[in-house]
Amino acid sequence: MICGVRFCGGCNPRYDRGKALEKIKEQNKDVDFRIAEEGETYDHLLVIGGCTNCCASHCQFSTREGLTKMWDEKHINEVLKKIDEIKSKEKAKQNIK
Amino acid sequence: MLMTGDQYIESLRKLGTRVYMFGEKIDNWIDHPMIRPSINCVKMTYDLAHDPQYVDLMTAKSNLTGETVNRFGHLHQSTDDLRKKVKMQRLCGQKTASCFQRCVGMDAFNAVFSTTFEIDKKCGTKYHENFVEYLKYVQNNDLIVDGAMTDPKGDRGLAPHAQKDPDLFLHIKEKREDGIVVRGAKCHQTGSINSHEHLIMPTQAMGEDDKAYAVAFACPSDVEGLYMVYGRQSCDTRKMEPNADVDLGNKNFGGQEALVVFDDVFIPNDRIFLCEEHEFAGMLVERFAGYHRQSYGGCKVGVGDVIIGAAALAADYNGANKASHIKDKLIEMTHLNETLYCCGIACSAEGYPTEAGNYQIDLLLANVCKQNVTRFPYEIVRLAEDIAGGLMVTMPSSIDFNSDLEVGRNGETLAEVCNKFYAASDTCTTIERMRILRFLENICLGSSAVGYRTESMHGAGSPQAQRIMIARQGNINAKKELAKEIAGIK
Repeated sequence: MICGVRFCGGCNPRYDRGKALEKIKEQNKDVDFRIAEEGETYDHLLVIGGCTNCCASHCQFSTREGLTKMWDEKHINEVLKKIDEIKSKEKAKQNIK
Repeated sequence: MLMTGDQYIESLRKLGTRVYMFGEKIDNWIDHPMIRPSINCVKMTYDLAHDPQYVDLMTAKSNLTGETVNRFGHLHQSTDDLRKKVKMQRLCGQKTASCFQRCVGMDAFNAVFSTTFEIDKKCGTKYHENFVEYLKYVQNNDLIVDGAMTDPKGDRGLAPHAQKDPDLFLHIKEKREDGIVVRGAKCHQTGSINSHEHLIMPTQAMGEDDKAYAVAFACPSDVEGLYMVYGRQSCDTRKMEPNADVDLGNKNFGGQEALVVFDDVFIPNDRIFLCEEHEFAGMLVERFAGYHRQSYGGCKVGVGDVIIGAAALAADYNGANKASHIKDKLIEMTHLNETLYCCGIACSAEGYPTEAGNYQIDLLLANVCKQNVTRFPYEIVRLAEDIAGGLMVTMPSSIDFNSDLEVGRNGETLAEVCNKFYAASDTCTTIERMRILRFLENICLGSSAVGYRTESMHGAGSPQAQRIMIARQGNINAKKELAKEIAGIK
């Protein structure tokens, strides 16, 4: 699974966005997290905002399984759950094949 | 092409910019200890544009080329772009605690772009086409451009044409078939030495008699006939002291202003954006000033964030952090700082498209923003000084804190004496305490006070300039009607 990552610009983040990504990566060593680039298609996009505004632009990126936004450290568990769901879905698809 | 910070520094080495300071020509100004901190600030605007955690603010898609460009070279295409500009400036202020100098160019691009469109529409000139080609060149090469507006102005009671010395306002000295020759100067030019190019605008609205002064153009910083005289700052020669570190407060970053002299500089036709159409000088000034007054709602807020953090650390280190009045002062500093940010965001959110298509801020709110900036930073540093205590201006030098000189009855060194008497809370070393206090000294009344205090007062126009704009935009008659309606007056 390839997960694109887009950070907001970080003008006044309420938590360490970089560390949050590291925590998510630690729990998902089988997922390829890449800084999102235009022209690429990702299985999923993770948008990491620093505050409730979560103003990071993301419409320019394409994904197969949509995106998840987080703007608080407390959202890490939700992100992990979402990634697990996608991974399970992928596994199920592979089993059918 | 987005340059890296290191590429930017190397690009400056290729310029032949003429710089004078302390009565001498400075050949290697790039590595000069008094100038380099200001170059490091500009370098930060390049480095952040390559960091995934900041890219969303630091870059944008150019409407001219379709390429990704540094946002400092971007024409705002929406209110979202205007808001992101303010956020980017807050970020850069946080990372440097200084004026990072690049916003004057960005504000000039946006003002000249929309104004030239309207000049061409009325006068049939080709200034907009000239400017678009110029901006593509700037974007493609990721250049720093000094947006220069302020003339020396001589006797403030006299119009440009009435001055004893005509050079006190920059003017067209000669018109040729292939271009113009200009003479005069621009004062207080932030980051001029660190810029690849200069984009010149008139300093005020002009009448028919002043049409020779209604001129806008661009030129390289090392064009023949152009030179700069470095503006000194409070405590600036501390940067020249050997092993200066703690005493500098902010050893890596700083601001820069210079006098830029145009000693008969030739400007080719394709770099001219206004030439005697005096009726548009006021429009250009008003638009540039509007954008620049918005800018202060971002950059000074970022520096304010660092000051608030430093004041909080000083309280921790002094052991005073639990005192209720200290907590309240930190709340007040935050309230003042975020109020400035509110203004920057508000004038952006209320922006609107110009005839040329780029977005302009709400002028009333931008002027309110800057008017607050002429006041609140002064209160923020007053509170920071209050929290820090007098030690921030009375402590010995860092040399004393490291000296082996034996001075005590029992052979104690100067370093031991200083460290003994300036120790405070266990949460820090004496040197850490000195570092944060020196930072506050530097920003409150040292070389960085130029950027945080006086620039907040006079940059983008002095307080009275904003009050004139607030009076014009204040919609008083509509407010009278509201009052009449409520009070039952017909």
